[in-house]
Amino acid sequence: MSLKYGVLGLLAEEPLHGYEVKNRFETMLGGTWEVNIGQIYTTLQRLERDGLVRPVGARGDRGKLLYELSPSGRKALVSWLAQPDSGPQQLHEDIYVKLLLATRVANGGLPALLGRQKRAYLQRLRDLNQLEDRARRDGRNDLAQLIRGALLHTEADLKWVDELAADALGGKTE
Amino acid sequence: MTELVRLTDVIKVYQGGITGALNGVSLSIEQGEFTAVMGPSGSGKSTLLNLIAGLDRPTSGDVAVGGTDLGALGEAGLARFRRDHVGFVFQFFHLLPNLTALENVLIPAQLKGRESADTRGRKLLETLGIPEVAERYPAKLSGGQQQRVAIARALINNPTLLLADEPTGALDTHSGDQVMDLLAQLHREGQTILLVTHDAKLATRHAARVISVTDGKIVDDARLETTERSASDVVRVRSEETSR
Repeated sequence: MSLKYGVLGLLAEEPLHGYEVKNRFETMLGGTWEVNIGQIYTTLQRLERDGLVRPVGARGDRGKLLYELSPSGRKALVSWLAQPDSGPQQLHEDIYVKLLLATRVANGGLPALLGRQKRAYLQRLRDLNQLEDRARRDGRNDLAQLIRGALLHTEADLKWVDELAADALGGKTE
Repeated sequence: MTELVRLTDVIKVYQGGITGALNGVSLSIEQGEFTAVMGPSGSGKSTLLNLIAGLDRPTSGDVAVGGTDLGALGEAGLARFRRDHVGFVFQFFHLLPNLTALENVLIPAQLKGRESADTRGRKLLETLGIPEVAERYPAKLSGGQQQRVAIARALINNPTLLLADEPTGALDTHSGDQVMDLLAQLHREGQTILLVTHDAKLATRHAARVISVTDGKIVDDARLETTERSASDVVRVRSEETSR
């Protein structure tokens, strides 16, 4: 959903054509979300169909078409920005399913799995730290804050794996 | 790289079953490494640091620093070892309230009988960004300033090993970042640092090696990569792919 609103948000700054939307969107996300130009054009067409954006003038050089935000597009954007994210929490990573299966499958190797997962989280924390530093050096405090969010998430994941490991250890010695 | 610290089968038992005991720890740390030790409270991580610092002795096993077997030293020898080779930074600074910042910095130097340490003490305070606090008393300093004074005190004798036990634990985020940046700077200049922390973000930010201690044992010893990765290899913002 947020690609749609990402496009609306960028058009709220100034009219843009498809390629500019793609480039600005990817720059804003600092490489954490790559989109293909096809997705952008499809999104623009849907937004135009729904009356949230409209073309400015005729097709220019090489068929480029500028889009601008319509008043109802601006209203939709403002209302979206005001809404907190209240949907279910998204757990995208395989580890959650692996954990469930490792406890069911004989020789599922839960302690070893947790040990390797801990390493992976530590490495990710280090990578995220470097990324945050780079964002700050580049004057991208907004991006640094996004990465900070990822850091805190990974820290929570690490604590979770530590808890599971302590549980597994406790179970073994009993 | 040369080995600076070696622990062999170290066991530390406290009478009365006080937590923080060590239960068979072997470990090698090389010169120039920035190592973090992580673990829950009572896991034994501070005990580990105290044994390496020569502040405490193991119940059994060997601790060697810079080739010196600490078990072979008497009390006076151990005190000399601490003074000449170890700088220690604590969570709560441990500055003497009746001495000025500079006098605090100079304590280890005076123990060593260095009259001319004054210049070096002032220079350290300057390097740490607080030259103006030299004549002030600890009570007049902020937490961040006090911790920097404590770091200067730890560095006054050019220690081979800098040990830091939760050095940002009593500081606000900003002062904590400044203190950690100072430690990182010292590490870039070649200082071997062993940091005890419960903060994984902090540990992985500065240390390429993270040792996890649980119930008196090393349960993980991770050497992390430092290669720069592109943002998309590290974090992705995802959403529902289809927009309708």
